[in-house]
Amino acid sequence: MTTAAEASTGSNGSEETHDERLAYRGIFQRVLVRPEIGAVIAAVGVWVFFWAVAEPFGRASGAASILDVAASPLGIMAVAVAMLMIGGEFDLSSGAATGALGIVTILLVRDVSGEMAGAGFSLWVALPLSLAIALALGWFNGTMVNRTSLPSFIVTLGSFFVLKGAKLGFSKLIVEQIQVGTLDDLADYAETTGASDKGYGFLNTLFAAEWDRRSHIWEARDNIYLLGTFLGLALVIIGVFELHHRRAERGIPAGYAGAGLGLVSVLFGINTLHSTDSVSGNWTGSLLILAGMTVGLIGLSAARYHPLSDRSLALPTGAVTSFGLGVVALAGSIIAAAMIDSQNSENISWLGLVTVQGGRAILFVSLAGAALVLFLIGVNRARRSSIAGGGLLLAVTALSVAGTAFFVRAESQTPKFRTQAFSFMLMAAAIMLVWAIASMLFERRSSTGHERTGLALVGSGFVLALVGLGARLLYVTQSELDAGITKTGYSVRILWFAGFTAVCTWVLTRTRFGSWTYAVGGNKQASRQVGVPANRTKVQLFMLVSFAAWLVGVLLAFRLNTIQASTGDGEEFEYIIAAVVGGTALTGGYGSTLGAAIGAFIMAMSVQGIPSARWNSDWRFLFIGTILLLAAIGNNYIRGKAEAAR
Amino acid sequence: MSDTPLLELDNIGKYYGNIIALQGVTTEVHAGQVTCVLGDNGAGKSTFIKILAGVHKHDQGEFRLEGNPVSFNSPREALSSGIAAVYQDLAMVPLMSVWRNFFLGSEPTKGRWPVEWIDKSFAKQTAKEEMAKMGIDIRDTEQPVGTLSGGERQSVAIARAVYFGAKVLILDEPTSALGVKQSGVVLRYILEAARRGLGVIFITHNPNHAFPVGDRFLILNRGRSMGNFAKDEISQSELTSLMAGGAELEALQHELSQG
Repeated sequence: MTTAAEASTGSNGSEETHDERLAYRGIFQRVLVRPEIGAVIAAVGVWVFFWAVAEPFGRASGAASILDVAASPLGIMAVAVAMLMIGGEFDLSSGAATGALGIVTILLVRDVSGEMAGAGFSLWVALPLSLAIALALGWFNGTMVNRTSLPSFIVTLGSFFVLKGAKLGFSKLIVEQIQVGTLDDLADYAETTGASDKGYGFLNTLFAAEWDRRSHIWEARDNIYLLGTFLGLALVIIGVFELHHRRAERGIPAGYAGAGLGLVSVLFGINTLHSTDSVSGNWTGSLLILAGMTVGLIGLSAARYHPLSDRSLALPTGAVTSFGLGVVALAGSIIAAAMIDSQNSENISWLGLVTVQGGRAILFVSLAGAALVLFLIGVNRARRSSIAGGGLLLAVTALSVAGTAFFVRAESQTPKFRTQAFSFMLMAAAIMLVWAIASMLFERRSSTGHERTGLALVGSGFVLALVGLGARLLYVTQSELDAGITKTGYSVRILWFAGFTAVCTWVLTRTRFGSWTYAVGGNKQASRQVGVPANRTKVQLFMLVSFAAWLVGVLLAFRLNTIQASTGDGEEFEYIIAAVVGGTALTGGYGSTLGAAIGAFIMAMSVQGIPSARWNSDWRFLFIGTILLLAAIGNNYIRGKAEAAR
Repeated sequence: MSDTPLLELDNIGKYYGNIIALQGVTTEVHAGQVTCVLGDNGAGKSTFIKILAGVHKHDQGEFRLEGNPVSFNSPREALSSGIAAVYQDLAMVPLMSVWRNFFLGSEPTKGRWPVEWIDKSFAKQTAKEEMAKMGIDIRDTEQPVGTLSGGERQSVAIARAVYFGAKVLILDEPTSALGVKQSGVVLRYILEAARRGLGVIFITHNPNHAFPVGDRFLILNRGRSMGNFAKDEISQSELTSLMAGGAELEALQHELSQG
């Protein structure tokens, strides 16, 4: 293709040089080979599904409860278990250990007579003690697995039952019931007697503080939200443009003026949208945004990127076929939706699960979704022989998405679809359209150099969007408060989860220990031959899991009124499922902690979403089982593709 | 070449109980030269490697490294004395990237404990450079080793041993699992390693691979040395017939001509 020209421009100062034998993988392909990508797609899909059927999804209260369920015990444990699984081992005792360590912590604080006062240890002593017990448990599991060479499945199944029995036995022996009492007795005791609260006050803040949204008023919140998400989205798009396109040696400087003009137009458009409610105002605003995006991004591209050299529009038959099938599916979805009576809210007799309306929505969404997938397959096939042809098909796809958006607005009964889904689809269509135009005009890049700018743009875009979203979720405005909103509290457990995931991800990807984890899981014999302390690494991984169990146990002790002897039993499989859904291989040597965290989110969404959708929560297990199977198959497929692509 | 060989074996022998695994083996390895060890299955090649690599100790004779008699207690000891063995299974983790495999177990780090991380750009660049020095231009050091061809994997293992300070490189049947073309590539790596001043011990059962690259040939048969020749003392056909136990082949030829 254009490798000779690229070689001359692509290597000035970039740290990664390009090898001409290596077919360049576009930014999308490179994202697709990451182990957590399946989980990200699944998370978005599950969220959209519940957003459509369950009322609290898309509200701050829904977000708070999903985050809380995802964080602890599930998320923290899933991340630790994922690391152990990458190291090639399982820990079936991890679920029981969470409850056990919580109980141990509480029992250490109590005195022998069972009173939550007097002779028990201070929390400052009890916490390190229970941590030491936790680490000893992990050390025992790891050492047993190493010494006996038995599968960790068997060894930890044994320790699971030992823990389960010990929890019951000791609870009954010491407090004569199967639940141990609460830590907040300490606060009461300190208050009534004037004695020390044994560190309860401070540690309660550390482990169980809550951010009540209703007591945090910030009038500028909506502006921050709008600005953050729009600017963030813009930066991500510009960054992806930068990563996707080939830099020109000499661009057209006038393009920057176009970019500026576009930015101004977009800002005007947002302002118009924000300040009017009239139909014509909405139209003006949307058109200003679309025009601004097009002019701005094409201007920027003209200034920076190389024009497309091959502009032939020859479309291969494969592309035409799948595109045609897509048109058929889209037409089918619209006809089906138009034919079924939209007002009918009676139950369809089959299982009594869905109403006629619901059935109509499911039929429409699945057919339209299939159409979109077929369109994109067509685009992809077209690109192989003609980039410009692919761009043309993508533009048509964008227009059909926009058309579908208007159809949804006209036909849908629920305000969620009429406003939120409509504007989201319109936005997506606009982005696709601009992308299509750009891909018909400018050359894709063919090497990996010069990525700093693009990556920095994408990164800061995500940060900005998160700040905007955070402002929306964490604060209320006075008018909202006056209208009356439900209590929404964010627990500090979410921060513990985020911090733990960040540290584990850093350790796994950046440190020697992380490298050794992958190595002992991938090929223990080989890693030992080159001097990796394989046994020590495995023991440390088991200890990491039991550390996580300790952290979760302490969080539980501060959160719950009482800890039951059975707390945590059987949850170990949920951790494993979250890890597998997040792309971790059951065979070891492959996976990611970030994926496991996302897997925990998927599980949490199904836990919260099914009751929110007013379905019987018994369906939850069916749902989780299905997701697990789909995730395992999907990850396997993606991994195969990824290795073939390299 | 200097007069003292890098590694010298004088009448080495090894017994397992009453079984004589190796007896009377004498050879030498000079820096920058390739010593080929030839033998059929069961000839004692594995025992020979294990003595050199420190897995077993020899029971007889003398093993001299740069003129000093040595006897290794462990592979690690041999490694730290500069003797690196590249075994057939190569000690690699297929799902891990080339650079991670290259530095596995000896990763370069930045920072101080407990905040210590792998110096990724250094590791990637060094892996690429070291491979380039062997004449292998690796496409992408992020590529998983499992996706490399057999010859390329062999080259990663050799480059790794060289980078970590090996003076003597023992290659255990590096060409046995490879096709004709790949074998040629590996033979080139062997010559390249020797050119860079290493003493190479190339173990094979294929005289066609050994003859073009070897400077010295040790032929083993049933635990005994059948001879230790410099290159100018032997021809390829002599080598082949010696290795197969010359007399037996002659007998076979005789039978065939009579039949």
